[in-house]
Amino acid sequence: MSNLSAVEPPDNPARSNETGHQDHNLLELRGIRAAYERIDVLFGVDLVVPEASVVALLGPNGAGKTTTLRVAAGLHVPSAGDVLIAGRRVNGAKPEELARHGLCMIPEGRGIFPNLTVRENLRMMTYVGRSLAEIEEIAYSRFPRLAERRTQTAGTLSGGEQQMLAMARGMATEPALLILDELSMGLAPIIVAELYEMVAQVARSGVSILVVEQFASTVLGVADYAAIMVHGRIERAGRPDELAADLSKAYLGG
Amino acid sequence: MIEGQERVQQFKQEIAEMRVRDPATGRDRMWLRVGVVLMIAGLIVAGLAYPMSHGTTNPLSQNDALALGLGGLTGAVVGSALFVRYSVAGFLRFWLARLSYEQQAQTDRLIESLKK
Repeated sequence: MSNLSAVEPPDNPARSNETGHQDHNLLELRGIRAAYERIDVLFGVDLVVPEASVVALLGPNGAGKTTTLRVAAGLHVPSAGDVLIAGRRVNGAKPEELARHGLCMIPEGRGIFPNLTVRENLRMMTYVGRSLAEIEEIAYSRFPRLAERRTQTAGTLSGGEQQMLAMARGMATEPALLILDELSMGLAPIIVAELYEMVAQVARSGVSILVVEQFASTVLGVADYAAIMVHGRIERAGRPDELAADLSKAYLGG
Repeated sequence: MIEGQERVQQFKQEIAEMRVRDPATGRDRMWLRVGVVLMIAGLIVAGLAYPMSHGTTNPLSQNDALALGLGGLTGAVVGSALFVRYSVAGFLRFWLARLSYEQQAQTDRLIESLKK
């Protein structure tokens, strides 16, 4: 397994210019180390999300994928390394401030209010300074099925619809950078495929996406670049077709 | 709804203008405060140890007061060192920023005069 520490595609325009500043990388992690209490989980992660592209972060359970996303979203302060968003070092920035500016993270487990209706869940997103009507327009235009369920409590929606609602809440903020953690968790493959079709649509509108996924084959169909993470390190990175062969090694060892 | 590219530009601009507090600054401030507290508390403890030892003829109590006094003085010295270390670091950081700004301004002036 070759050791390529960063997603930095050779034919991508998103490369360092002469000064080393990554002008076209919306998100860049440099040498990120992170720990929970005294237990180290990330050991120098380098990862790049170029503008208007989908980057998939793959790997087995416990590899540190979710921690990497949490660091990127400002929810976990790294013990070393730099988090750069749009070329600016943002270590220590408040996650709510990053969210307000356009970084949206949809966590594992959906992050919706199960006792509220679809409409009320969307109403909770008016904190971004948009009216409910605007938010509903954004949400229902992307996820028409939610319009039919607007008065239904979120907890009674199907798993796929709940995930759609979570994504709709995220899209209501009109994010520039979307971070998705385990979109497929607990969903049937057909629903996962449908959701990733929506992710592809979102990506086509210019939103940069960093996605963690265990359904590797599905996400590789959507991703522009991918990285395989094992034991807190990026083991391999590149274009999806280059990585497909290494996936089983990463998951099963060897 | 804002178009994709326009949204990205807006995002970049907002991130560039965002105020980010470096966690290292918070740590420096904490150590500076610890230094001040140690310095003051050390001196108070050392000061209190003197009447404590003076007011008794019991050698055991005098020894306790002596240990307390020495501990207080050590604390005050460590506190002073921390205070000096972190206040000087802050001052030097400011000085460095000023120097680099002045150097940049001087380079700009030089380029301007060479252009003429």
